[in-house]
Amino acid sequence: MAPQDTQRTGIQNNHGGIILKLKKIRQQFADTMLEVGQKDPNLVVLIGDISHFVLQPFAKACPGRFYNIGICEPTIVSMAAGLAKTGFCPVVHTIAPFILERSFEQIKLDFCYQKLQGNLITVGSAFDYSNLGCTHHCYSDFALMKLLPNTQVVYPASCQEFNMLFKQTYNNTYLTLFRVPEQQHEQKIDPSLIQFGKAVKLSEGNNLTIVVTGPQLKNVMEAKNILSETGWDIEVIYVHTLLPLDLTLIRESVKKTKKVLVVEEHNRFGGLGDDILHGIYDIGEIQFQSIAIDTFVHDYGTYEHLCSSIGLSTEGIVKSVQNNFKNSNKGAYV
Amino acid sequence: MNKEHRRKIVDMVISGKDGHIPSAFSIIDIISVLYKNFLKFNAKNHMWEDRDYFILSKGHGCLALYVILKEHGFLTEHDLSMFCKPGGILGEHPDCTKVPGAEASTGSLGHGMPFAVGIALGLKIRNKSNRICVLVGDGECHEGTIWESANVANNLRLGNLCVIVDWNGSAAQLMPFDDLPAKWRAFGWQTTVVDGHSEEDLKVAFSKVQFNSHGAPTAIIARTIKGKGVPMLEGHGIWHHKIPNEQEYKIIMEALS
Repeated sequence: MAPQDTQRTGIQNNHGGIILKLKKIRQQFADTMLEVGQKDPNLVVLIGDISHFVLQPFAKACPGRFYNIGICEPTIVSMAAGLAKTGFCPVVHTIAPFILERSFEQIKLDFCYQKLQGNLITVGSAFDYSNLGCTHHCYSDFALMKLLPNTQVVYPASCQEFNMLFKQTYNNTYLTLFRVPEQQHEQKIDPSLIQFGKAVKLSEGNNLTIVVTGPQLKNVMEAKNILSETGWDIEVIYVHTLLPLDLTLIRESVKKTKKVLVVEEHNRFGGLGDDILHGIYDIGEIQFQSIAIDTFVHDYGTYEHLCSSIGLSTEGIVKSVQNNFKNSNKGAYV
Repeated sequence: MNKEHRRKIVDMVISGKDGHIPSAFSIIDIISVLYKNFLKFNAKNHMWEDRDYFILSKGHGCLALYVILKEHGFLTEHDLSMFCKPGGILGEHPDCTKVPGAEASTGSLGHGMPFAVGIALGLKIRNKSNRICVLVGDGECHEGTIWESANVANNLRLGNLCVIVDWNGSAAQLMPFDDLPAKWRAFGWQTTVVDGHSEEDLKVAFSKVQFNSHGAPTAIIARTIKGKGVPMLEGHGIWHHKIPNEQEYKIIMEALS
Protein backbone atom coordinates (compact mmCIF):
# COMPACT_ATOMS: atom_id res chain seq x y z
CA MET A 1 0.00 0.00 0.00
CA ALA A 2 1.31 3.42 -0.90
CA PRO A 3 2.85 5.44 1.92
CA GLN A 4 0.31 8.21 1.50
CA ASP A 5 -2.66 5.95 2.21
CA THR A 6 -3.99 6.70 5.64
CA GLN A 7 -6.95 4.37 5.87
CA ARG A 8 -6.09 0.73 5.54
CA THR A 9 -9.10 -1.37 6.44
CA GLY A 10 -12.56 -1.16 7.87
CA ILE A 11 -13.20 -3.66 10.67
CA GLN A 12 -16.23 -4.58 12.69
CA ASN A 13 -16.26 -3.40 16.29
CA ASN A 14 -17.98 -5.17 19.20
CA HIS A 15 -21.16 -3.19 18.76
CA GLY A 16 -21.60 -4.11 15.14
CA GLY A 17 -20.55 -0.76 13.76
CA ILE A 18 -17.70 -0.15 11.39
CA ILE A 19 -14.66 1.57 12.77
CA LEU A 20 -11.76 2.60 10.66
CA LYS A 21 -8.43 1.08 11.43
CA LEU A 22 -5.97 3.79 10.59
CA LYS A 23 -2.41 3.32 9.57
CA LYS A 24 -0.31 4.28 12.59
CA ILE A 25 1.64 7.49 12.27
CA ARG A 26 4.67 5.58 13.49
CA GLN A 27 4.31 3.34 10.43
CA GLN A 28 4.02 6.46 8.31
CA PHE A 29 7.24 7.72 9.92
CA ALA A 30 8.97 4.54 8.81
CA ASP A 31 7.49 4.76 5.30
CA THR A 32 8.52 8.38 4.97
CA MET A 33 12.06 7.63 6.14
CA LEU A 34 12.25 4.92 3.48
CA GLU A 35 11.02 7.23 0.75
CA VAL A 36 13.14 10.25 1.70
CA GLY A 37 16.18 8.16 2.61
CA GLN A 38 16.31 6.59 -0.84
CA LYS A 39 16.46 10.02 -2.41
CA ASP A 40 18.63 11.83 0.11
CA PRO A 41 21.93 10.13 1.04
CA ASN A 42 22.35 12.55 3.94
CA LEU A 43 19.43 11.18 5.96
CA VAL A 44 20.65 9.13 8.94
CA VAL A 45 18.32 7.61 11.54
CA LEU A 46 19.40 6.98 15.15
CA ILE A 47 16.97 5.24 17.47
CA GLY A 48 16.91 4.44 21.17
CA ASP A 49 15.86 0.81 20.83
CA ILE A 50 12.31 1.52 19.74
CA SER A 51 10.53 1.17 16.38
CA HIS A 52 13.42 -0.94 15.06
CA PHE A 53 11.05 -3.39 13.45
CA VAL A 54 9.12 -0.85 11.39
CA LEU A 55 12.37 0.83 10.33
CA GLN A 56 13.89 -2.33 8.86
CA PRO A 57 12.90 -1.40 5.27
CA PHE A 58 14.79 1.88 5.71
CA ALA A 59 17.74 0.03 7.21
CA LYS A 60 17.85 -2.37 4.27
CA ALA A 61 17.37 0.27 1.58
CA CYS A 62 19.82 2.72 3.15
CA PRO A 63 22.72 0.63 4.47
CA GLY A 64 25.03 2.38 6.88
CA ARG A 65 22.46 5.02 7.72
CA PHE A 66 20.42 3.30 10.42
CA TYR A 67 21.70 2.86 13.98
CA ASN A 68 19.93 1.40 16.97
CA ILE A 69 22.20 3.01 19.53
CA GLY A 70 20.46 1.65 22.61
CA ILE A 71 19.31 3.14 25.88
CA CYS A 72 21.51 6.22 26.13
CA GLU A 73 19.41 9.12 24.92
CA PRO A 74 21.68 12.07 25.81
CA THR A 75 24.49 10.44 23.89
CA ILE A 76 22.22 9.75 20.92
CA VAL A 77 21.25 13.42 20.75
CA SER A 78 24.86 14.61 20.96
CA MET A 79 25.96 12.03 18.39
CA ALA A 80 23.26 13.28 16.04
CA ALA A 81 24.67 16.78 16.41
CA GLY A 82 28.10 15.39 15.54
CA LEU A 83 26.61 13.77 12.44
CA ALA A 84 25.09 17.12 11.49
CA LYS A 85 28.53 18.67 11.91
CA THR A 86 29.77 16.39 9.13
CA GLY A 87 26.92 17.38 6.81
CA PHE A 88 24.34 14.70 7.52
CA CYS A 89 20.70 15.36 8.29
CA PRO A 90 20.10 13.26 11.42
CA VAL A 91 16.83 11.90 12.75
CA VAL A 92 16.68 10.94 16.42
CA HIS A 93 13.75 8.77 17.38
CA THR A 94 12.64 7.43 20.73
CA ILE A 95 10.13 8.00 23.53
CA ALA A 96 9.30 11.68 24.00
CA PRO A 97 10.43 12.44 27.57
CA PHE A 98 13.79 10.79 27.02
CA ILE A 99 14.61 12.89 23.96
CA LEU A 100 13.19 16.15 25.22
CA GLU A 101 13.45 16.23 28.97
CA ARG A 102 16.31 13.89 29.81
CA SER A 103 18.46 15.17 26.95
CA PHE A 104 17.47 18.82 27.03
CA GLU A 105 20.96 20.18 27.61
CA GLN A 106 22.28 18.10 24.72
CA ILE A 107 19.62 19.66 22.49
CA LYS A 108 20.39 23.13 23.82
CA LEU A 109 24.17 23.04 23.54
CA ASP A 110 25.06 20.52 20.87
CA PHE A 111 22.36 21.43 18.35
CA CYS A 112 21.05 24.91 19.07
CA TYR A 113 24.14 26.68 20.44
CA GLN A 114 26.08 25.35 17.47
CA LYS A 115 23.30 26.07 14.95
CA LEU A 116 23.13 22.52 13.60
CA GLN A 117 20.22 20.98 11.75
CA GLY A 118 18.35 17.82 12.67
CA ASN A 119 15.06 16.20 13.55
CA LEU A 120 13.73 14.82 16.81
CA ILE A 121 10.85 12.46 16.13
CA THR A 122 9.14 11.32 19.28
CA VAL A 123 6.63 8.67 20.15
CA GLY A 124 4.44 8.79 23.20
CA SER A 125 3.02 12.27 23.15
CA ALA A 126 1.23 13.51 26.28
CA PHE A 127 -0.73 10.48 27.65
CA ASP A 128 -0.13 7.94 24.86
CA TYR A 129 1.66 5.67 27.34
CA SER A 130 -1.26 6.09 29.70
CA ASN A 131 -0.64 3.12 31.97
CA LEU A 132 3.09 3.70 32.28
CA GLY A 133 2.57 6.77 34.41
CA CYS A 134 4.38 10.07 34.71
CA THR A 135 7.77 8.68 33.75
CA HIS A 136 6.47 8.09 30.24
CA HIS A 137 4.09 11.04 29.88
CA CYS A 138 5.40 14.08 28.05
CA TYR A 139 3.46 17.34 27.95
CA SER A 140 6.17 19.97 28.32
CA ASP A 141 7.84 19.35 24.98
CA PHE A 142 6.49 22.32 23.01
CA ALA A 143 7.59 24.66 25.76
CA LEU A 144 11.08 23.22 26.03
CA MET A 145 11.77 23.34 22.32
CA LYS A 146 10.29 26.81 21.94
CA LEU A 147 12.70 28.10 24.58
CA LEU A 148 15.62 27.42 22.28
CA PRO A 149 16.72 29.34 19.18
CA ASN A 150 16.98 27.66 15.77
CA THR A 151 14.10 25.28 16.49
CA GLN A 152 10.78 24.34 14.93
CA VAL A 153 7.89 22.39 16.45
CA VAL A 154 5.50 20.26 14.41
CA TYR A 155 2.61 18.17 15.76
CA PRO A 156 1.26 16.06 12.89
CA ALA A 157 -1.87 14.25 14.02
CA SER A 158 -2.39 12.35 10.77
CA CYS A 159 -0.20 10.26 8.51
CA GLN A 160 -0.71 12.70 5.69
CA GLU A 161 0.54 15.58 7.81
CA PHE A 162 3.62 13.73 9.01
CA ASN A 163 4.54 12.73 5.48
CA MET A 164 4.05 16.15 3.97
CA LEU A 165 5.46 18.28 6.79
CA PHE A 166 8.56 16.13 7.21
CA LYS A 167 9.36 16.41 3.52
CA GLN A 168 8.80 20.16 3.64
CA THR A 169 11.10 20.85 6.58
CA TYR A 170 13.50 18.08 7.51
CA ASN A 171 16.64 19.61 6.01
CA ASN A 172 15.98 23.33 6.26
CA THR A 173 18.89 24.00 8.69
CA TYR A 174 16.72 24.05 11.82
CA LEU A 175 16.32 21.50 14.60
CA THR A 176 12.74 20.31 14.25
CA LEU A 177 10.68 18.46 16.83
CA PHE A 178 7.98 16.24 15.37
CA ARG A 179 5.65 15.24 18.20
CA VAL A 180 4.16 12.03 16.83
CA PRO A 181 0.95 10.96 18.60
CA GLU A 182 -0.54 7.48 18.64
CA GLN A 183 -4.01 8.93 18.03
CA GLN A 184 -5.17 10.76 14.92
CA HIS A 185 -7.73 13.48 14.46
CA GLU A 186 -9.45 11.51 11.65
CA GLN A 187 -10.44 14.66 9.75
CA LYS A 188 -9.99 15.00 6.02
CA ILE A 189 -7.86 18.01 5.23
CA ASP A 190 -7.19 19.25 1.72
CA PRO A 191 -3.49 18.50 1.08
CA SER A 192 -3.03 21.93 -0.44
CA LEU A 193 -3.73 23.39 3.01
CA ILE A 194 -1.02 21.37 4.74
CA GLN A 195 1.86 23.76 4.58
CA PHE A 196 4.57 24.09 7.19
CA GLY A 197 4.00 27.19 9.30
CA LYS A 198 0.38 27.64 8.22
CA ALA A 199 -2.66 27.01 10.36
CA VAL A 200 -5.77 25.50 8.76
CA LYS A 201 -9.24 26.97 9.04
CA LEU A 202 -11.63 24.02 9.13
CA SER A 203 -14.90 25.87 9.63
CA GLU A 204 -16.10 29.43 9.29
CA GLY A 205 -17.86 30.96 12.28
CA ASN A 206 -18.75 34.27 13.84
CA ASN A 207 -19.11 34.05 17.59
CA LEU A 208 -16.34 31.76 18.89
CA THR A 209 -12.88 30.69 17.74
CA ILE A 210 -11.56 27.33 18.84
CA VAL A 211 -7.85 26.82 18.16
CA VAL A 212 -6.78 23.21 18.54
CA THR A 213 -3.67 21.15 17.98
CA GLY A 214 -3.15 17.41 17.74
CA PRO A 215 -5.72 14.61 17.86
CA GLN A 216 -8.05 16.70 20.03
CA LEU A 217 -9.28 18.13 16.72
CA LYS A 218 -11.59 15.12 16.56
CA ASN A 219 -13.27 16.10 19.84
CA VAL A 220 -13.38 19.75 18.86
CA MET A 221 -15.26 18.95 15.63
CA GLU A 222 -17.75 16.81 17.53
CA ALA A 223 -18.19 19.53 20.16
CA LYS A 224 -18.67 22.12 17.43
CA ASN A 225 -21.53 20.10 15.98
CA ILE A 226 -23.21 19.76 19.38
CA LEU A 227 -22.77 23.43 20.18
CA SER A 228 -24.08 24.54 16.80
CA GLU A 229 -27.46 23.11 17.77
CA THR A 230 -27.67 25.79 20.45
CA GLY A 231 -26.67 28.63 18.22
CA TRP A 232 -22.92 28.64 18.53
CA ASP A 233 -21.29 29.58 15.25
CA ILE A 234 -17.75 28.34 15.71
CA GLU A 235 -14.63 28.96 13.68
CA VAL A 236 -12.22 26.04 14.11
CA ILE A 237 -8.54 26.64 13.46
CA TYR A 238 -6.27 23.63 13.46
CA VAL A 239 -2.57 24.10 14.18
CA HIS A 240 -0.02 21.48 13.10
CA THR A 241 2.98 23.84 13.27
CA LEU A 242 3.47 25.23 16.76
CA LEU A 243 6.70 27.03 15.90
CA PRO A 244 6.62 29.15 13.81
CA LEU A 245 3.00 29.79 14.73
CA ASP A 246 0.60 31.20 12.14
CA LEU A 247 -0.74 34.09 14.21
CA THR A 248 -2.13 35.88 11.17
CA LEU A 249 -4.98 33.44 10.69
CA ILE A 250 -5.66 33.25 14.43
CA ARG A 251 -5.71 37.04 14.85
CA GLU A 252 -8.10 37.48 11.92
CA SER A 253 -10.49 35.03 13.51
CA VAL A 254 -10.25 36.46 17.03
CA LYS A 255 -10.78 39.99 15.79
CA LYS A 256 -14.06 38.75 14.36
CA THR A 257 -15.32 36.54 17.18
CA LYS A 258 -13.67 38.20 20.23
CA LYS A 259 -13.80 34.85 21.96
CA VAL A 260 -11.19 32.11 21.81
CA LEU A 261 -10.84 28.66 23.34
CA VAL A 262 -7.53 26.82 22.95
CA VAL A 263 -7.47 23.01 23.25
CA GLU A 264 -4.15 21.23 23.64
CA GLU A 265 -2.60 18.14 25.23
CA HIS A 266 0.19 20.22 26.74
CA ASN A 267 1.10 22.07 29.88
CA ARG A 268 -0.90 25.27 30.14
CA PHE A 269 2.37 27.18 30.50
CA GLY A 270 4.47 27.47 27.39
CA GLY A 271 1.99 25.74 25.13
CA LEU A 272 -0.16 26.90 22.25
CA GLY A 273 -2.47 28.88 24.53
CA ASP A 274 0.36 31.00 25.92
CA ASP A 275 1.60 31.83 22.44
CA ILE A 276 -1.88 32.82 21.32
CA LEU A 277 -2.36 35.04 24.38
CA HIS A 278 0.87 36.82 23.61
CA GLY A 279 -0.13 37.12 19.99
CA ILE A 280 -3.60 38.63 20.49
CA TYR A 281 -3.32 40.69 23.68
CA ASP A 282 -3.47 43.97 21.76
CA ILE A 283 -6.78 43.22 20.05
CA GLY A 284 -8.73 44.14 23.20
CA GLU A 285 -12.10 43.03 24.67
CA ILE A 286 -11.30 39.36 24.22
CA GLN A 287 -12.55 36.40 26.22
CA PHE A 288 -9.87 33.71 26.45
CA GLN A 289 -9.98 30.18 27.84
CA SER A 290 -7.90 27.10 27.38
CA ILE A 291 -8.18 23.41 28.13
CA ALA A 292 -4.69 22.21 28.94
CA ILE A 293 -2.69 20.34 31.58
CA ASP A 294 -2.00 22.03 34.91
CA THR A 295 -0.28 19.40 37.01
CA PHE A 296 1.13 15.89 37.04
CA VAL A 297 -1.53 13.39 36.12
CA HIS A 298 -0.98 10.37 38.36
CA ASP A 299 -3.96 8.32 37.24
CA TYR A 300 -3.85 5.20 35.04
CA GLY A 301 -6.24 3.90 32.42
CA THR A 302 -6.74 4.62 28.75
CA TYR A 303 -5.46 7.63 26.85
CA GLU A 304 -9.05 8.80 26.49
CA HIS A 305 -9.62 8.44 30.24
CA LEU A 306 -6.60 10.54 31.17
CA CYS A 307 -7.47 13.19 28.59
CA SER A 308 -11.10 13.42 29.63
CA SER A 309 -10.11 13.67 33.32
CA ILE A 310 -8.77 17.12 32.58
CA GLY A 311 -11.47 18.17 30.12
CA LEU A 312 -9.86 17.04 26.90
CA SER A 313 -12.98 15.35 25.54
CA THR A 314 -16.02 16.26 23.47
CA GLU A 315 -18.04 16.76 26.63
CA GLY A 316 -15.26 18.74 28.31
CA ILE A 317 -15.02 21.09 25.35
CA VAL A 318 -18.79 21.58 25.21
CA LYS A 319 -18.89 22.33 28.94
CA SER A 320 -15.96 24.71 28.76
CA VAL A 321 -17.69 26.71 26.05
CA GLN A 322 -21.02 26.73 27.88
CA ASN A 323 -19.49 27.66 31.24
CA ASN A 324 -16.94 30.21 30.16
CA PHE A 325 -18.38 32.11 27.25
CA LYS A 326 -21.54 34.12 26.90
CA ASN A 327 -23.05 33.60 23.49
CA SER A 328 -24.05 37.04 22.35
CA ASN A 329 -25.18 35.86 18.93
CA LYS A 330 -27.29 32.87 19.79
CA GLY A 331 -30.11 34.01 17.58
CA ALA A 332 -33.40 32.15 17.45
CA TYR A 333 -32.11 28.81 18.65
CA VAL A 334 -32.07 29.69 22.37
CA MET B 1 58.01 22.51 27.70
CA ASN B 2 55.78 25.25 26.35
CA LYS B 3 56.91 27.89 28.84
CA GLU B 4 56.16 30.64 26.37
CA HIS B 5 52.61 29.35 25.87
CA ARG B 6 52.15 29.14 29.61
CA ARG B 7 53.33 32.73 30.06
CA LYS B 8 50.89 33.83 27.37
CA ILE B 9 48.06 32.03 29.16
CA VAL B 10 48.86 33.85 32.41
CA ASP B 11 49.02 37.21 30.62
CA MET B 12 45.61 36.55 29.04
CA VAL B 13 44.14 35.74 32.44
CA ILE B 14 45.60 38.92 33.96
CA SER B 15 44.32 40.96 31.03
CA GLY B 16 40.90 39.33 30.88
CA LYS B 17 40.59 39.19 34.69
CA ASP B 18 39.27 35.62 34.45
CA GLY B 19 40.23 32.12 33.39
CA HIS B 20 41.36 28.66 34.50
CA ILE B 21 45.17 28.63 34.53
CA PRO B 22 45.90 25.20 36.10
CA SER B 23 43.47 23.37 33.80
CA ALA B 24 45.12 24.95 30.76
CA PHE B 25 48.61 24.11 32.04
CA SER B 26 47.46 20.52 32.52
CA ILE B 27 46.72 20.04 28.80
CA ILE B 28 48.89 22.57 26.96
CA ASP B 29 51.64 20.04 26.21
CA ILE B 30 49.13 17.54 24.79
CA ILE B 31 47.46 20.07 22.51
CA SER B 32 50.81 21.48 21.43
CA VAL B 33 52.03 18.07 20.24
CA LEU B 34 48.73 17.29 18.53
CA TYR B 35 48.81 20.45 16.41
CA LYS B 36 52.57 20.46 15.84
CA ASN B 37 52.99 16.83 14.91
CA PHE B 38 49.74 15.12 14.01
CA LEU B 39 46.62 17.01 13.05
CA LYS B 40 45.94 18.00 9.46
CA PHE B 41 44.40 21.46 9.24
CA ASN B 42 44.23 24.60 7.15
CA ALA B 43 44.14 27.75 9.23
CA LYS B 44 43.06 29.81 6.23
CA ASN B 45 40.16 27.46 5.58
CA HIS B 46 39.29 26.01 8.94
CA MET B 47 36.25 24.18 7.54
CA TRP B 48 38.45 22.30 5.04
CA GLU B 49 36.68 19.01 4.61
CA ASP B 50 39.80 16.85 4.77
CA ARG B 51 40.93 18.29 8.10
CA ASP B 52 41.37 16.27 11.25
CA TYR B 53 39.06 17.17 14.11
CA PHE B 54 40.13 18.17 17.59
CA ILE B 55 37.38 18.57 20.18
CA LEU B 56 38.21 20.04 23.57
CA SER B 57 35.51 18.42 25.66
CA LYS B 58 36.83 19.93 28.92
CA GLY B 59 36.10 23.40 27.64
CA HIS B 60 37.45 25.24 30.70
CA GLY B 61 40.96 24.34 29.55
CA CYS B 62 40.44 26.46 26.42
CA LEU B 63 43.25 28.94 27.10
CA ALA B 64 45.60 26.17 26.05
CA LEU B 65 43.65 25.70 22.83
CA TYR B 66 43.60 29.42 22.11
CA VAL B 67 47.36 29.92 22.33
CA ILE B 68 47.93 26.90 20.09
CA LEU B 69 45.35 28.12 17.56
CA LYS B 70 47.19 31.45 17.58
CA GLU B 71 50.52 29.69 17.07
CA HIS B 72 49.17 27.97 13.97
CA GLY B 73 47.46 30.98 12.43
CA PHE B 74 43.78 30.48 13.30
CA LEU B 75 43.79 33.40 15.73
CA THR B 76 45.64 36.69 15.95
CA GLU B 77 47.48 38.39 18.78
CA HIS B 78 44.59 40.84 18.88
CA ASP B 79 42.13 37.96 19.38
CA LEU B 80 44.15 36.79 22.40
CA SER B 81 44.32 40.31 23.81
CA MET B 82 40.52 40.46 23.78
CA PHE B 83 40.10 37.35 25.98
CA CYS B 84 36.96 37.76 28.09
CA LYS B 85 36.44 41.31 26.85
CA PRO B 86 33.32 42.69 25.18
CA GLY B 87 33.60 42.38 21.43
CA GLY B 88 36.25 39.66 21.62
CA ILE B 89 35.70 36.17 20.28
CA LEU B 90 37.44 34.28 23.09
CA GLY B 91 35.75 33.47 26.37
CA GLU B 92 36.31 31.08 29.24
CA HIS B 93 34.70 28.33 27.24
CA PRO B 94 35.12 28.04 23.47
CA ASP B 95 32.24 29.08 21.21
CA CYS B 96 32.57 27.37 17.82
CA THR B 97 30.29 29.94 16.20
CA LYS B 98 33.02 32.52 16.91
CA VAL B 99 36.40 30.79 17.17
CA PRO B 100 37.92 29.54 13.90
CA GLY B 101 39.36 26.11 14.58
CA ALA B 102 37.16 25.35 17.59
CA GLU B 103 35.08 22.41 16.38
CA ALA B 104 32.61 22.39 19.26
CA SER B 105 31.14 24.76 21.80
CA THR B 106 32.01 23.11 25.08
CA GLY B 107 32.00 23.96 28.75
CA SER B 108 29.28 21.82 30.19
CA LEU B 109 31.13 18.55 30.73
CA GLY B 110 30.27 15.32 28.97
CA HIS B 111 29.18 16.88 25.67
CA GLY B 112 32.32 16.93 23.54
CA MET B 113 32.79 13.18 23.75
CA PRO B 114 29.42 12.02 22.31
CA PHE B 115 29.60 14.89 19.81
CA ALA B 116 32.98 13.57 18.68
CA VAL B 117 31.51 10.07 18.43
CA GLY B 118 28.88 11.48 16.06
CA ILE B 119 31.56 13.15 13.94
CA ALA B 120 33.56 9.92 13.86
CA LEU B 121 30.47 8.00 12.76
CA GLY B 122 29.65 10.58 10.09
CA LEU B 123 33.14 10.41 8.60
CA LYS B 124 33.09 6.62 8.75
CA ILE B 125 29.77 6.52 6.87
CA ARG B 126 31.33 8.76 4.22
CA ASN B 127 34.34 6.46 4.12
CA LYS B 128 36.67 9.33 4.84
CA SER B 129 40.03 9.09 6.56
CA ASN B 130 39.88 12.21 8.73
CA ARG B 131 41.10 11.58 12.27
CA ILE B 132 39.07 12.65 15.29
CA CYS B 133 40.71 13.45 18.62
CA VAL B 134 38.75 14.45 21.70
CA LEU B 135 40.28 15.55 24.98
CA VAL B 136 38.32 14.83 28.14
CA GLY B 137 39.20 15.35 31.79
CA ASP B 138 39.32 12.60 34.39
CA GLY B 139 36.89 14.66 36.48
CA GLU B 140 34.71 14.84 33.39
CA CYS B 141 34.69 11.05 33.38
CA HIS B 142 32.17 11.25 36.22
CA GLU B 143 29.62 12.20 33.55
CA GLY B 144 27.49 9.32 32.33
CA THR B 145 27.64 10.42 28.70
CA ILE B 146 31.39 9.68 28.68
CA TRP B 147 30.72 6.01 29.32
CA GLU B 148 27.58 5.83 27.21
CA SER B 149 29.50 7.13 24.24
CA ALA B 150 32.60 5.07 25.04
CA ASN B 151 30.41 1.99 24.79
CA VAL B 152 28.76 3.19 21.57
CA ALA B 153 32.09 4.11 19.93
CA ASN B 154 33.51 0.66 20.53
CA ASN B 155 30.35 -1.10 19.36
CA LEU B 156 30.34 0.97 16.17
CA ARG B 157 34.06 0.19 15.76
CA LEU B 158 35.01 3.83 15.45
CA GLY B 159 38.72 3.24 15.04
CA ASN B 160 39.03 6.73 13.58
CA LEU B 161 38.47 8.15 17.07
CA CYS B 162 41.10 8.80 19.72
CA VAL B 163 40.27 10.01 23.20
CA ILE B 164 42.95 11.68 25.27
CA VAL B 165 42.11 11.61 28.96
CA ASP B 166 43.73 14.40 30.96
CA TRP B 167 44.40 12.31 34.08
CA ASN B 168 45.39 15.09 36.45
CA GLY B 169 43.71 13.62 39.48
CA SER B 170 40.71 15.93 39.59
CA ALA B 171 38.43 12.93 39.98
CA ALA B 172 40.45 11.80 42.98
CA GLN B 173 39.13 14.80 44.92
CA LEU B 174 35.69 13.17 44.97
CA MET B 175 35.52 9.70 43.45
CA PRO B 176 38.96 8.36 42.53
CA PHE B 177 39.58 6.49 39.30
CA ASP B 178 42.55 4.40 40.40
CA ASP B 179 41.84 2.04 37.54
CA LEU B 180 41.06 4.59 34.84
CA PRO B 181 42.95 2.74 32.05
CA ALA B 182 41.25 -0.50 33.06
CA LYS B 183 37.87 1.20 32.81
CA TRP B 184 38.53 2.27 29.21
CA ARG B 185 39.83 -1.20 28.40
CA ALA B 186 36.68 -2.67 29.91
CA PHE B 187 34.69 -0.62 27.44
CA GLY B 188 36.65 -2.23 24.62
CA TRP B 189 39.10 0.56 23.89
CA GLN B 190 42.76 0.18 22.98
CA THR B 191 44.42 1.93 25.88
CA THR B 192 47.83 3.34 26.61
CA VAL B 193 49.17 5.40 29.51
CA VAL B 194 51.66 8.19 28.88
CA ASP B 195 53.31 11.13 30.59
CA GLY B 196 51.11 13.98 29.38
CA HIS B 197 53.90 16.50 29.79
CA SER B 198 56.50 14.57 27.79
CA GLU B 199 56.68 15.56 24.14
CA GLU B 200 58.45 12.32 23.30
CA ASP B 201 55.93 10.14 25.12
CA LEU B 202 53.04 11.92 23.47
CA LYS B 203 54.59 11.67 20.00
CA VAL B 204 55.13 7.94 20.43
CA ALA B 205 51.59 7.44 21.70
CA PHE B 206 49.96 9.40 18.90
CA SER B 207 52.11 7.74 16.25
CA LYS B 208 50.88 4.34 17.41
CA VAL B 209 47.19 5.19 17.06
CA GLN B 210 45.97 3.32 14.01
CA PHE B 211 43.07 5.62 13.12
CA ASN B 212 41.44 2.93 11.00
CA SER B 213 37.79 2.71 10.05
CA HIS B 214 37.00 -0.70 11.51
CA GLY B 215 38.90 -1.37 14.73
CA ALA B 216 38.47 -0.36 18.33
CA PRO B 217 38.90 3.30 19.20
CA THR B 218 41.96 4.37 21.18
CA ALA B 219 42.20 5.99 24.60
CA ILE B 220 45.46 7.70 25.51
CA ILE B 221 45.44 8.15 29.25
CA ALA B 222 47.80 11.05 29.87
CA ARG B 223 49.16 11.42 33.36
CA THR B 224 49.31 15.13 33.99
CA ILE B 225 49.68 17.64 36.78
CA LYS B 226 47.13 20.37 37.14
CA GLY B 227 49.03 23.69 37.01
CA LYS B 228 52.15 21.90 35.74
CA GLY B 229 55.15 24.20 35.36
CA VAL B 230 54.60 26.51 38.31
CA PRO B 231 54.94 24.86 41.75
CA MET B 232 52.61 27.41 43.34
CA LEU B 233 49.81 26.47 40.92
CA GLU B 234 50.24 22.71 40.95
CA GLY B 235 47.59 20.54 42.54
CA HIS B 236 43.96 21.06 43.40
CA GLY B 237 43.84 24.03 45.71
CA ILE B 238 42.48 27.52 45.32
CA TRP B 239 44.08 28.17 41.96
CA HIS B 240 41.47 26.35 39.86
CA HIS B 241 39.74 29.64 39.01
CA LYS B 242 41.88 32.32 40.68
CA ILE B 243 43.48 35.40 39.17
CA PRO B 244 47.06 36.08 40.30
CA ASN B 245 47.78 39.36 42.06
CA GLU B 246 50.88 41.38 41.23
CA GLN B 247 53.19 39.49 43.57
CA GLU B 248 51.85 36.10 42.52
CA TYR B 249 52.24 37.09 38.89
CA LYS B 250 55.95 37.72 39.48
CA ILE B 251 56.36 34.32 41.14
CA ILE B 252 54.61 32.60 38.24
CA MET B 253 56.62 34.37 35.59
CA GLU B 254 59.89 33.63 37.38
CA ALA B 255 58.97 29.95 37.44
CA LEU B 256 58.26 30.13 33.71
CA SER B 257 61.38 32.08 32.79
